[in-house]
Amino acid sequence: MAGARAISWTLAAAMALGACTTRLPRVPEDPRRELTGVPFFPQTIHQCGPAALATVLGTTGVDVTPAQLAPGVYIPGRRGSLQVEMLAAARSHGRLAYVLAPDFGALRAELAAGNPVLVLQDLGALGIRRWHFAVVIGFDPDREVLVLRSGTERRRIETRNRFLRSWQAGQNWAAVITLPGQPPATANGSDFIRALTATERYLSPQQVAAAHAKALARWPEDPLVLLASGNQAYAAGLPDQAITAYRSLLAIDPGHVAGRNNLANALLDAGCAPAAMAEAERALALVETGSPLAAAVNDTLARTRAAAAVGSSVCGAE
Amino acid sequence: MAFRQIIVAITAACFLGLGFQTTASASVIGTQDYLAAEARASHLAGINAALSRADVQAELVALGVDPADAVTRAAALSDEELAQVAQEMRTLPAGGDGLLAVIGIVFIVLLILELTGVTDIFKKI
Repeated sequence: MAGARAISWTLAAAMALGACTTRLPRVPEDPRRELTGVPFFPQTIHQCGPAALATVLGTTGVDVTPAQLAPGVYIPGRRGSLQVEMLAAARSHGRLAYVLAPDFGALRAELAAGNPVLVLQDLGALGIRRWHFAVVIGFDPDREVLVLRSGTERRRIETRNRFLRSWQAGQNWAAVITLPGQPPATANGSDFIRALTATERYLSPQQVAAAHAKALARWPEDPLVLLASGNQAYAAGLPDQAITAYRSLLAIDPGHVAGRNNLANALLDAGCAPAAMAEAERALALVETGSPLAAAVNDTLARTRAAAAVGSSVCGAE
Repeated sequence: MAFRQIIVAITAACFLGLGFQTTASASVIGTQDYLAAEARASHLAGINAALSRADVQAELVALGVDPADAVTRAAALSDEELAQVAQEMRTLPAGGDGLLAVIGIVFIVLLILELTGVTDIFKKI
């Protein structure tokens, strides 16, 4: 009796496992369709967050283990990790954390550019949510399957449809972790600057300058990229370079308060007090009452007026 | 006592660090300040970043995170991220259970088989 029971349980288990695996095609490891160099860290219980994070950080050259990352991202009371904390932890290692547009095309484009993609999936069933972080490392368009570093599996194969269902539950959330000087393939200028600004405090001034130069070369007409480039040059003590960036910004968006205000400051530093005062007055006319920028604009106007009153103008930038 | 002093020192260091981040000259609008102003304009309610940072920190400790780690973790979030998590730390998706999902599904399948097919086998024997 006991023997029969054991056999039937074994049979049932084999059937259950078999049902999960029989339909998947065999996918050989192919460096043309899969980022085979991405490291693998098998997760321990509940700790897929640190494991997935170590995987994507490791790809960008950060040598860190899931155990080292866990105190920074794991929440015992939730038995898991939050998306924003995953991004924050990547930043604190001097990397750029960029959230992708929520569609499969963006994910594929990043894979094609060599960036493994961190994803949030719902692996639950029967209405029970089971949130899980994994790293997509490949997509095979012929077999319609994805390859993931996931949990304890070095190469988890999932059909495209199954993956899309599990991904949709978390609003198709996906992120890539890159070196700050290497903007993601699908990035747009404004979101790149947002991501860069959030990580700047962990970077050297040289890295920051290089990343801004990269952004300006790729998105020369994005207002936020131009503002950030101007600010970067201004902070580095290069007012002439800052003036050029701010003027390009104002040519695209003449009503840009921060751009005009900062142009006034840069002109003042370049020795052009009258021009600086004129720009400061324009900025004041543009700024809305109650705007958080108003204090800075008033400050700028006071500074430029004081300098103009002294009256020495040695200016090559007018 | 000594532990409390360490926490106070770490907190103080973090706030000092935050202070240095803002632009040196009050009249130039730094990129971070600009983004913060933009975010404030888009969230009608307005974000009190310092308040949410303290909330997030306390919530992390309540959920079992080491108090010293909670300070650094709250400090590592941007203002916008703080606003996202401050009220919802207990409900936002927390990725973690990939392993248990598989075990759970297998168990449920076994249970169903036990109640249907398996009991049939026993009758025949």
